[in-house]
Amino acid sequence: MSVVDGVPAMPPGLLDGLDLALEAQGLSLEYAQRRALDAVHLQVPRQRVTALIGSSGCGKSSLLRCFNRLNDEIAGCRVRGTVRVLGLDAYADTTSLPDLRRRVGMVFQKPNPFPQSVAENVAFGLRLAGIRSRLELDDRVEAALRAASLWDEVRDRLGDNALALSAGQQQRLVIARALAVEPEVLLMDEPASMLDPISTLRFEELVVALRERYSVLLVTHNMQQAARVADYTAFMQAGRLLEFDTTDRIFTNPRLRGTEDYITGRMRESGGQ
Amino acid sequence: MAAFASLPRGVPRRGDMGLWLAAGAVGLSLLALVALLAVLLQQTLRAFAPAPVAELRWNRGGTEHTLIAAVVEQDARALIVRGSEWLRRGTEYRRIARADLSQLDWPADAVTLHLRDGRELHLRGDAATWRITPLPALPQSLPGYALAPADIDDVVAANRLTPAQTIGLVLQRGWRFVAGASGGGVYPALVGTVLLVLLMSVLVMPLGVLLALWLHEYAGSGRIARLLRAAMANLAGVPAVIYGLFGLVLFVNGVGGGLDGLLQSDVPRWGSGGLLWSSLTLALLTLPVVVIATEEGLARVPASLRQAALALGATRAEMLWRVVLPVARPALLTALILAVARAAGEVAPLMLVGAVRYAPVLPLDGEFPYLHVSRQFMHLGQSVYDLALAGSDVVRDPAQAHAAALLLLVVVVGLNAAAIVVRNHLRERARELAV
Repeated sequence: MSVVDGVPAMPPGLLDGLDLALEAQGLSLEYAQRRALDAVHLQVPRQRVTALIGSSGCGKSSLLRCFNRLNDEIAGCRVRGTVRVLGLDAYADTTSLPDLRRRVGMVFQKPNPFPQSVAENVAFGLRLAGIRSRLELDDRVEAALRAASLWDEVRDRLGDNALALSAGQQQRLVIARALAVEPEVLLMDEPASMLDPISTLRFEELVVALRERYSVLLVTHNMQQAARVADYTAFMQAGRLLEFDTTDRIFTNPRLRGTEDYITGRMRESGGQ
Repeated sequence: MAAFASLPRGVPRRGDMGLWLAAGAVGLSLLALVALLAVLLQQTLRAFAPAPVAELRWNRGGTEHTLIAAVVEQDARALIVRGSEWLRRGTEYRRIARADLSQLDWPADAVTLHLRDGRELHLRGDAATWRITPLPALPQSLPGYALAPADIDDVVAANRLTPAQTIGLVLQRGWRFVAGASGGGVYPALVGTVLLVLLMSVLVMPLGVLLALWLHEYAGSGRIARLLRAAMANLAGVPAVIYGLFGLVLFVNGVGGGLDGLLQSDVPRWGSGGLLWSSLTLALLTLPVVVIATEEGLARVPASLRQAALALGATRAEMLWRVVLPVARPALLTALILAVARAAGEVAPLMLVGAVRYAPVLPLDGEFPYLHVSRQFMHLGQSVYDLALAGSDVVRDPAQAHAAALLLLVVVVGLNAAAIVVRNHLRERARELAV
């Protein structure tokens, strides 16, 4: 366990009896010039929503992208430590990247639908998986759109280009696109930061609903959002995971001053004590 | 300050030096373009408009001469005339000093007979009667030479043409210049040019796009990639004729000769210049342009779309094929447009690898396999060169070279316009979607 000045990041026994979806042990990550993660320990339980909070540049996104190895795309990025996804070593030589990424869906900060029709967007991953039957594609597209609570809004516009949808709809569309391939884990990288308040609310309802079937790891800058949707919350600072606990405890009674300062918005030159 | 603020943003102030310089440059370019088109059009008109016919009588060295001839050019001191071309086209030019002239008439009954082979005879008489019989009496000095009615293409009352008739004649001759039967027209060169550019496009696009993909997506910044990139940037500046020489050595002599050896053919079929080798040479010539333009297009594909595809479990190839290339389509068409623009105007390398002055058969015909890529072909650029410098007629051929040049210009602009229309259509669609 990661220990900061004698305080372990996670209270012992917190996740006892829960299956783990994601697990990072001693995970360090370096870009060409800069160290982004420093010996991070994190456990993300299955079928729960875990929020990852921390100031900009603290390594939240880098950590997130270790779980589907999207960091591999960045030249000069080196990873040390262990990353387990659904019990399997993500960085093992035998791991197939497409398989890994099919089991770990991702939603990005900015909605990034492909410039294709709504239906084709959702079917993208399914086609990659080799599904050709029109009937099956239609069924699964509809199911994914329903799961992302977008179906009622786009059922008559499936052939329209996805870029014609509103930002909130686009964000739910890319969630539907991720859900269509039936992943077990969803990584979300500040997915609501570009949305208006109403769309944000809808999005949060959706995340809570997804919790029944998926394990969600959510990076957010919005404290209220973390408080509303997450079961557990992890606080990161300067590439280290400082505190992990139930959301209630993090927001009402954090063990570290740094966590409290961040949550309450107090500025400090050096945090952590 | 108030006056300043009332100006719409982006409108430069009047005293702006840069504005005047820019406007001057634009004006100069437009002027040059207009001048080019004017020269081409004027010379084209001159090539096809019928010349007036004069009856001349002059004295030179104590001998009296008479002649009925077309007056091609005249100034204050002399006339340049073209007499009846009984034997060969372009041989009867004569310069007559005005001082020697004793008579210069423009007879109303002057008639010009246009023969099918391009020769012209100038006579007097009733235009209607020349159409049938009697055929003109041949000069006594040309025994054994006979003219058949079938040789006569048309008969023009050269001095009595109304402007409308003149325009009609110009159009008719212009059309005949392009589509003329019996080897007269430049139509085979037109076909050759278009085929060449199309075949070049088919060859260069897949190659260039794949190379750009490799350079941009796979090669990273390794030493080979950097070397290749530098090579691409520099290859774009290599003179075209060097590509021609390269094509001659590599494709015609090397690959073509080898193929002939393998096929054990007695006559060089692949081992001589042809459409395929010319297209390949031009493809090589335009490859840097395509690669550079495509790379720029690939660089503009948002990283978010790439990540979206990868995060859904796409392999690199799937991401490129299903997301990056479709999004970069307008850039690919831009690359094609640049390639076509460069290739359609090249002549020098083609002379080395397959374009000929006269090709007996088109590379495209109704016989299987329809497109004969090993055949030599004619090219409009070559026609311009031949007509301007190597023609048999010192007046009409250079004028017709301008007509061929105008046609080449039309073809190039047409091919480009087609590609631009397609690209704009794609862009328009992308923009509609982006709103």
